[in-house]
Amino acid sequence: MSLLIKTAKQENLALCPKCQRVNVLQSQPQHCVRCKGLFYQRKPNSLQYALAWNIVALLAFIPANLYPIMIIYSLGIGEPSTILSGIGQFVDYGLYPIAAIIFTASIIVPLLKIIGLFLLVYRVHTGVRLRPDKHSRFYHMLEFLGPWSMLDVFVVALLVAVVELGFVTSVAAGPAINYFALTVIFTMLAANSFDPRLLWDKTSD
Amino acid sequence: MTNNVNTKQLIACQQCDALYSRPELKQGQKVKCAQCDSTIIERKVDSTDRSFFWSLAGIIFLVPAILLPIMGVTLVGQYHHASLLDCILVLIDRGFFMIASLVFLFAIAVPTVRLFGAFYITYSFKFNKLKPSLLSFFRAYHYLEHWTMLNVFMLGIIVSMYKLLDDTELSVNMGLFAFAFWLVSSTMASSALDQDYIWQTLENEFVD
Repeated sequence: MSLLIKTAKQENLALCPKCQRVNVLQSQPQHCVRCKGLFYQRKPNSLQYALAWNIVALLAFIPANLYPIMIIYSLGIGEPSTILSGIGQFVDYGLYPIAAIIFTASIIVPLLKIIGLFLLVYRVHTGVRLRPDKHSRFYHMLEFLGPWSMLDVFVVALLVAVVELGFVTSVAAGPAINYFALTVIFTMLAANSFDPRLLWDKTSD
Repeated sequence: MTNNVNTKQLIACQQCDALYSRPELKQGQKVKCAQCDSTIIERKVDSTDRSFFWSLAGIIFLVPAILLPIMGVTLVGQYHHASLLDCILVLIDRGFFMIASLVFLFAIAVPTVRLFGAFYITYSFKFNKLKPSLLSFFRAYHYLEHWTMLNVFMLGIIVSMYKLLDDTELSVNMGLFAFAFWLVSSTMASSALDQDYIWQTLENEFVD
């Protein structure tokens, strides 16, 4: 299959990542003939950037789970809840679908993104290309899932604003919310800086 | 050998860099990469018109979606409601500046800029007011691609409703409907936009 298909790189061409115009490779970086944007044939230092963002994402994920994400005050008494205890509450109430959504968005997806990207970086680094199509599809999924982890941040923001009944009951955000938002943003930046074309590169030459 | 090939007649896959010659496409047809199965270009049906009217609708729903209260709670006779803007103001008030600015960026600023961007581009195409500056404008439009999170915020609204349903009396306000319409129209506006068509037209017009 890959014997018939040539890549732009092999033909000494480069694709502009912004406007998708195929350019003749002249320099690194170069200006696109169509949109005049500056670009590289491959994202420069893609693996290092992806790895670095990934490590800080993993570091931020630890306090995000240990600190309370929100504190519910009723009649003056505060009850802190972490991400996991919030999910446990939904399970206690019997709201399994909601519990599953939050568990997926705030635990599974960030972990999957971090571990998955480590794996992809490792794959490219070792140069073993077993199933580039599979890995490429996996990367696509990671990229798509990224923003959905912000769910918990938005839920807390809404609850803080809506539930404000003075002494009777109110909700305050906890310190974990900052770390969690950072985790999500770092994983998105990590996925953005990874260049999926690296997965295919060495297979065909 | 490649230096004398007309690169205008070539397309390459963004995901795996596979190179193909550009086929002629009719409306509704798309090119898929034979190697990695991702869509390379797609000629969308009535792209300019659809994107223009969806973005117009989005701009109309923009203000009510931000300002109208989304939902309210009643507990022992007390009632309180909040809009999207209230969320941000309350978070600033409580000192959560980072979360406040993230909610502002992902749920208000980026979607608004994308919406007006799509509107401006389709307006220029629809009424034949093409300018060379559109080239850099449309390039800038791509930078914000991954950072609109209206759909995630919508799911956030639904989840927080379930959270409140148990121990309070929940009421749904007009802001929720305005927000839902805003979400639908801005998603449609950006997905109806035929990027390849826009780039090609701009290139034929302004790049020699």
